[in-house]
Amino acid sequence: MRGMMGVFSELDSTVEAIEELKQRKVGDLTVFSPTPRHELEHAVHPPMSGVRKFTLIGALSGVCFGFWIAIWGSNYWPLVVGGKAISTWLPYVVFGFEVMVMVGALSTVFGMFYLAGIPRLTMTVGYDPRFSHGSYGIFCECAPEKLVEAESILRRHGAVEVRGEK
Amino acid sequence: MATLAHPDDLRRPNIASADIQLPAVTSYEQVDNEILAILKPTKAWFASLMLAIACLGLGAFGWIYQIHQGLGVAGYNPPVMWGVYIITFVFWVGIGHAGTLISAILYLFRAGFRTTIYRAAEAMTVFAVMTAGLFPIIHIGRPWKFFWLIPYPNWRLIWPNFKSPLVWDVFAITTYLTISTTFLFVGLIPDIAVLRDRETNPIRRKILGFLSFGWRNTEREWRHFARAYLFLAAFSTPLVLSVHSVVSFDFAMGIVPGWHTTIFPPYFVAGAIFSGFAMVWTIIIPMRRWFGLRHYVTLNHLDASAKMVLFTSLVVGLAYMIEFFIAWYGGVKYEQDYFWNRVFGQWWWAAWIMLTCNMILPLSLFSQKLRRNPTWLWILSIFINIGMWFERFVIVVPSLSHDVEPWQWSSYMPTWVDYALLIGSFGWFFMWFLLFVKQLPVMALAEIKEIIPPKMKHTHSHGGH
Repeated sequence: MRGMMGVFSELDSTVEAIEELKQRKVGDLTVFSPTPRHELEHAVHPPMSGVRKFTLIGALSGVCFGFWIAIWGSNYWPLVVGGKAISTWLPYVVFGFEVMVMVGALSTVFGMFYLAGIPRLTMTVGYDPRFSHGSYGIFCECAPEKLVEAESILRRHGAVEVRGEK
Repeated sequence: MATLAHPDDLRRPNIASADIQLPAVTSYEQVDNEILAILKPTKAWFASLMLAIACLGLGAFGWIYQIHQGLGVAGYNPPVMWGVYIITFVFWVGIGHAGTLISAILYLFRAGFRTTIYRAAEAMTVFAVMTAGLFPIIHIGRPWKFFWLIPYPNWRLIWPNFKSPLVWDVFAITTYLTISTTFLFVGLIPDIAVLRDRETNPIRRKILGFLSFGWRNTEREWRHFARAYLFLAAFSTPLVLSVHSVVSFDFAMGIVPGWHTTIFPPYFVAGAIFSGFAMVWTIIIPMRRWFGLRHYVTLNHLDASAKMVLFTSLVVGLAYMIEFFIAWYGGVKYEQDYFWNRVFGQWWWAAWIMLTCNMILPLSLFSQKLRRNPTWLWILSIFINIGMWFERFVIVVPSLSHDVEPWQWSSYMPTWVDYALLIGSFGWFFMWFLLFVKQLPVMALAEIKEIIPPKMKHTHSHGGH
């Protein structure tokens, strides 16, 4: 993993640098920002997050498990009350709903972790502590012959610091 | 500190658009510096923590005494077999409602006034539900048998009754605690990364690095984070409404005068939001003053939340009135007798504390001047907290002590053990909250930065939101 990293203090400079780096196909970009910004998302133009698939699968599994545990538990250890069904749907909606929320939400968080590539044990290359504070950053992972071009683009758009990382 | 001379003089917001700005906060660096400055412990904080631990110690002593002597030392007097413990359980579950309401429901409705208060409210929710969760365990008298409530295959031939609201409650509260904690922690990850990057102590830095999961603020991380946060909010929204509905079923499913009514779920949910917001004020108003955060939690934020409190107070007041109306209109003499007894009988004082604190005093919030007066809001929040505790007292004790069978009628008097555990619950809650405010950011750094216009090279290109 080798590339050029630029630190920016202005949002629009960062956006312009991303657009030019993408246009010239210099390399793969990783963009850093202290807070989510739509401007950066539009410039990077990433695919839609796949978290929703984890949410759907988790929620469906949860609702099935919630109903199953109540129905299976009632039938296996029946508490017989005259005139009443051993398993009934209506009160078991509570279990279906609660377990759906629990498993659905936890699988959403799992999906976020999986897709975002966290937990990460090391910070790897191309990170600067300023990115969590107030600065924006671009790490351009590219072939050695493209490093100079990446550096010049980053500098031209007003990067306050540019450095090679590997 | 604030660059604006009088941060409280901001123009009133249009609540419908919830467009609340922070004009005195101008840069990302200012947000980090001012909010993280709170983390430094002060003498007042140590004194408050000691007081909270002393209250907790009193509660722990009462509980140990009760375990040693038996449940008879609490004030239970048949048929009043639910007392201060269940009242306090419902009270704390109610307090726990505002956090998820503010962070989830107001997030989905894009209500701007939530931004600076939701982290404190979320933490409050987690600690309130942790506090509430203790009381059913205390109430059963033999806490070591608590695991009998959890459904798993066993050979005791004692299996939870899935048609019982008490088992629904176990599922509802467990889910709510899990999801509230998850919601709080997921929101904290980017802010813990800010702490990690500013930390100089290598051991603390390692711990914070572990807790932040190696978060790097990449666009990819933010994209999945934003989507997951949205789904968590979407899950939490019906969960907020369901939890107190399920708690209300503990009562509404019982064939007891004053309990067996379909109005309980919405009435309990409105009351929970009402009391939760009051506790948010109890915590936030001193914090904004002591920590110099008046330019983050502005009068506009308090004004907007006061309207929410006024609305929920009106809903709760309407529910009280409907209860009386249904008792009269339904023609059931037990219900009529019970409701007459509620306001003019043995427990008249509790009912009138409830009505005064929850229905009458909040009407003051129709006045714009009082809605924008933090001192009044704080005083009112204390009255509401008291009123909402008494609301649960009025629901539990008069119904059980004045049942359908006159020969069963009895009285109820809490003992020092009940009071010790009630005080201990406040100690437990505030101990966790005070520890939280000195370890982790009490306001969401990343979200506050989102509403500040970013630094631009060209003034008119790529403007903020």
